[in-house]
Amino acid sequence: MTLGYLISLEQINQLSLTDRQREEIIAFFAARDAELERLYRFDTADTERMVHVMPIMTVVREDKAVQLFTREALQAAAPETDEGYWCVPRVLE
Amino acid sequence: MSAKKDQIYMKLYISENPAAKSADISRRIAADDMILTSSLPTTAGSRMLKGYMSLFGAEVLTRLDNAGFTLAGKANVGEFAVDLLGETSYFGAVETDGKLSNAAAELLKAGEVSAVITLDVNGYPRRAAAQNGLISLKPTYGTVSRFGVIPAACSGDTVSIMANDTAAVSEIFAVIAGHDDKDGTSHPEAVCETAKTAAVPIKRIALPVNLTEGTNEDVKGKLAAFTASAEAAGIEVVKVESDIIAVSNIAWNILMSAEVCNNVSRYDGVKYGYRAENFSGIDELYTNSRTEAFGELIKSVIIFGSETLSADKYNKQYDKALRIRRLIVEAFAELFSEYDAVLLPACSALSYGEEIRADKYAVYTENRFTAPASITGLPAVVCGSVQLIGRAFSDGSLLAAAAKITESEGK
Repeated sequence: MTLGYLISLEQINQLSLTDRQREEIIAFFAARDAELERLYRFDTADTERMVHVMPIMTVVREDKAVQLFTREALQAAAPETDEGYWCVPRVLE
Repeated sequence: MSAKKDQIYMKLYISENPAAKSADISRRIAADDMILTSSLPTTAGSRMLKGYMSLFGAEVLTRLDNAGFTLAGKANVGEFAVDLLGETSYFGAVETDGKLSNAAAELLKAGEVSAVITLDVNGYPRRAAAQNGLISLKPTYGTVSRFGVIPAACSGDTVSIMANDTAAVSEIFAVIAGHDDKDGTSHPEAVCETAKTAAVPIKRIALPVNLTEGTNEDVKGKLAAFTASAEAAGIEVVKVESDIIAVSNIAWNILMSAEVCNNVSRYDGVKYGYRAENFSGIDELYTNSRTEAFGELIKSVIIFGSETLSADKYNKQYDKALRIRRLIVEAFAELFSEYDAVLLPACSALSYGEEIRADKYAVYTENRFTAPASITGLPAVVCGSVQLIGRAFSDGSLLAAAAKITESEGK
């Protein structure tokens, strides 16, 4: 893990780490890479991936038009609202 | 309330239901703050969700409410429940007598509630139960609905139960286990019912000795005591070795980080959650909100997960971990062809000293004891400060064995 690569991962994930945090994470990744070598010892070429430990089904329900929540309830957790609308930051600069 | 309890009290509950005070203690429960409630805030121990009110409650709590249980409050939890015991909570770590503790465990020890519903993402409920001499059940994946819990590492997240004794855990499990149409990973009702019975008695237990390396004398003592009690109860304990199960946490850290990274990408400071005050544009709003609201451990998980899913590392890490998961499942199946359960420690020490607490990434190695059950979805019961992992849907049998061994211990 190089500093440049870490900074690109920060940007992808919309994070900004301090210099101290970057140093710690780079050290952590060095230790983790050494651990990963233990995984690579196992030959998995003929082993199928197991994404999930059980079959997953898609939950399909009948369409029903129902009012689950009121506008007030839906907006209760919003950081900012104005007369029934969500306030979002200005995106055109 | 004692002075000592009062001192730590504020860090135990994130939010409290005053109406529960009058409820009978045997019917009073708490839920950790990964479980959604519509009447109390849910924070996931994160500044990101401080004050968040869900529009609906979790299915497990609905079932418990219908069965006459009263929710006393929301127990403090580490940020998105990925840490050791809750030490990364934005609302503060729980400490007793200068030692790191856990809110759910302290609520039980204080007699505040009869059980706590927890979300086992990375093993914290099992470590907490082991360090406090409590009982914890991480049920078979898919037997308890995850509808209405904050998703973290979805392929392993399991709604779990912590209590003072096996009877209380069994009672709660009987209520919450069952099919739920709202959860795409929920097993059919008949299968869930199987998990509630003690159909297959535990007669032979395997102890993979290489997985006990790195535990301190206290934990080794608990393993020896458990083994002696099991044998006194007529259960044979046989020492074995397993190289592949020993790397469970390395594979689990890859899968968990990837899943957590995806799940917390929704928190951007716009629709809900924390929003930074200072920003000059939309990108800075996202970055400042996430940077200010997330703690250091979660940031490391996000970076780890993002890297492991990148084009460069996907095959080498993520794909490899998925294949290793199958090998681990097969290794357990092989053990279960000869044994009824697998005995493991749940943690390396019965309390965490300064060394482990000073290492903010310690959970990535400490979870080597809990990762085997997390990555395979197998049920695990913590009892006598150690952990018993069983076949899928042997939850009832594990609890019965735990009760039998506990009884034998008392003699």
